Amino acid sequence: MKATRSVLLVLILAASLAAAWWFFRPQPQSAQGELTVYYAKLDGSSLGQWSVSVRPPQPGEGAAEHLHNTALYAAVQAVAGPPSDVQAVRFPAGTHVLSASVAGPIVTVDLSPEVASQTGGSFAENGEFKGLVYTLTGIPGINAVQITVSGQKMESLPGGHLELDVPLRRSDW
Amino acid sequence: MTFRFAGRIGSAFVLLALLAAGIARADTASYQFLTSSITFTHLSKAAGTLAVGIDDPALQGFLKLTGATLTWHPGERYVLITSAQPQVISFSVGDRRYDVGQISATASFAPFLVGSEVYLPFEDLMRSLSIAPVRDGSINALVPQLASVDVQGSGAQAVLVAHAGTKLVPRLVSDSPDHVVYELNGIGSDLPGSRSYDAGGIRSIDITSTGSARAPKTILTIAYAPGTRHDTPHSQRGDMEIGFGANGSAPPLTAAAAYASAPSQAVAAAAPVQAPPQQSVQTTPTFAPQPAPVTSPLAEPAASASPAAVGAVDVTPTADGATVTIAVTGNAHFEWHRLRAPDNRFWIDVQGAQLAGAAKDETETDPLASVRVRQIDPQTVRVALSFAGTASVTVSPSATGIAIAVGRNEDVADAPRSGEGSVGSVVSVNEPQTLVTPVPPEDYGQTPADQNAWKFGPAAYIPTNPRLIVIDPGHGGSDRGAVRGSYSEADLNLDFAKRLQAILIARGWQVQMTRTTDVDVFAPNDSAHDELQARVNVANNAGARLFISIHCNSFINSGPTGTTVYYSKPADVPFARQLDRSMAANLGTKDDGIVKSKLYVTLHTNMPAVLIETAFLSNPEDLAKLANPDWRERLVTDVADGIDLYAQQNPVQGANQ
Repeated sequence: MKATRSVLLVLILAASLAAAWWFFRPQPQSAQGELTVYYAKLDGSSLGQWSVSVRPPQPGEGAAEHLHNTALYAAVQAVAGPPSDVQAVRFPAGTHVLSASVAGPIVTVDLSPEVASQTGGSFAENGEFKGLVYTLTGIPGINAVQITVSGQKMESLPGGHLELDVPLRRSDW
Repeated sequence: MTFRFAGRIGSAFVLLALLAAGIARADTASYQFLTSSITFTHLSKAAGTLAVGIDDPALQGFLKLTGATLTWHPGERYVLITSAQPQVISFSVGDRRYDVGQISATASFAPFLVGSEVYLPFEDLMRSLSIAPVRDGSINALVPQLASVDVQGSGAQAVLVAHAGTKLVPRLVSDSPDHVVYELNGIGSDLPGSRSYDAGGIRSIDITSTGSARAPKTILTIAYAPGTRHDTPHSQRGDMEIGFGANGSAPPLTAAAAYASAPSQAVAAAAPVQAPPQQSVQTTPTFAPQPAPVTSPLAEPAASASPAAVGAVDVTPTADGATVTIAVTGNAHFEWHRLRAPDNRFWIDVQGAQLAGAAKDETETDPLASVRVRQIDPQTVRVALSFAGTASVTVSPSATGIAIAVGRNEDVADAPRSGEGSVGSVVSVNEPQTLVTPVPPEDYGQTPADQNAWKFGPAAYIPTNPRLIVIDPGHGGSDRGAVRGSYSEADLNLDFAKRLQAILIARGWQVQMTRTTDVDVFAPNDSAHDELQARVNVANNAGARLFISIHCNSFINSGPTGTTVYYSKPADVPFARQLDRSMAANLGTKDDGIVKSKLYVTLHTNMPAVLIETAFLSNPEDLAKLANPDWRERLVTDVADGIDLYAQQNPVQGANQ
């Protein structure tokens, strides 16, 4: 009988400790960051922008993973561009981000093959990558963007003009 | 035995976790969507609602039908879906909050993992895509909803823009002097019924829905002032756009640039379909600027507080070649680049650093040809090397700074052409964050110091043939460039180039063309790099004074117009500016000015170089000019005038011109 009480006491104590941990466990920070997403305007030289919120690190999400997630989110936003009623230089229809990875201050953005369907002029190609690079290098810790297409580095897009096999930086524009 | 026991414990935890979250397995579910029947098979239930797995082939097919794409990889938290509008819908595993564009909402349950597959809240996902799941008798259907109707513009011209969960195909019901009615079959709507406007002659828009829940129709009645003209609806990425012009003025063209910054009068500004009651939709305040959390990597200082110092740069011969040592004290990040063989040049930028000693420009012995050291901007010291022949390069931090091992006569075809690292403890150094590329000052690139800062190898470029100009007609042969109707960029570029060649020769210049016929410069169907490098080689090998690449621009719609001069290097700027001035005077196209970009041919040519985008093939007015031989002659005459003026103002030192 005494032993049963002891076992019950231990169980109640364990349950109390578990409940206390549940209520007082570390919570994710409520503060939120903000990400500026850039796009090239149709004047060919200036950039428009909009902001989206960046989630704070989730429980168990380390700094490196959070930076990766932020970079991926930024890349997807920039490639999607603003809503279609906003006049903007856009990646070719269907272009989307396959993946993003961060190594040091360089983020590698892997784009789908639709990106190769350029219209032929410098105007679109220049604006597309300028908006993407400005967006990603707005993330502290990132200062260059390496473009790959379906996992492969490309020296230039077919019929293109930009040098893409080295990382792009804001200073390129 | 141990593993089996652990597996049972693990399974028990998974089961308990699923039960605790109210998650249960569900069977298949079929939905009618437009003319298709879609059967979802990767289903579950949570919080009393349906969950769908992102690996479900039916979901993937459905997203494809709506024009959406999904980005997710195993192990990642974010599931990012880009809708056709486009809007990015962001779900996060374990977090009920999700975002649709700039709108934040709370899902009925947090996305969860089953094995390696993420399950998303079905209804929230559908509503994010402007799709309403409805039940009509025994039939489930996914019904596209009208997501937004905007009137953009002010004054005499305006564009009506409508979005829905699928491509809009409007049917004209009636068209009268004061209103037009369109029917959107298969589209539901719970947007407000009526809204007044005063733009482009539009007075009001009425939205009504009829039909059944499964097969609705939405009627748009657009009332306008007498004398208003309107275009037929056209589409861009599945939306619907109709141009309106008041008082008899012409309606604007599709996606006209004039509306880029015009005020918007929105019925529902690109928001997802009305959120269900249990969702808490947050608007603007959520997105107000807030400081990043202190613990976030976003808040980490990006650069060291005090600059590093770059001291001696020494060359020590080795058995295989040489070692270049750069003395660095303090913390600094560095990045290096080398040009592609056979261009045997290399440079390394030490960022966040000051040059402690004097600048250096010395000739070296094999395998090096020269070593140059400069402070190229207030935060960066550049060490530039040129090699006597093909050489390998290995860069590594050392106890005293940076060591560069140069190996003689190595095969470098597959060697890395750029890299980076740090000395001290700095992780990264951010570049200045400038929103818009600043227009360079008038004297930018004109001083020898600036030229030295950018170029390496010769201290300042001296053409071996100061009377030679290389003209590069862009594209050609297997690469037609942009094409509109019977006009191809390859042909037009060659026509421009031949005309310019004739004028320049008549004025006493020597001219070398990268191509004189409709051919690839390197080889048919070659890579873009080989083609561009071949054109660069023509100019660099000839030691030309100037390089001009001639192109025609193009875009996906007719909005952009004008003439643009692209450049890459500071040394290009005075030349680009002069050509822009000359052409802006009487061409009649919009002057889009000079624009910096990382274009291959202007970046890798040694001499001042520009790429002229003469006009847009995609704009009807520009195309009419491009098609006019007189206009093409006028353009190249302006270019020749610009070359003459530039040459007068920028004589080659020591050259007999």
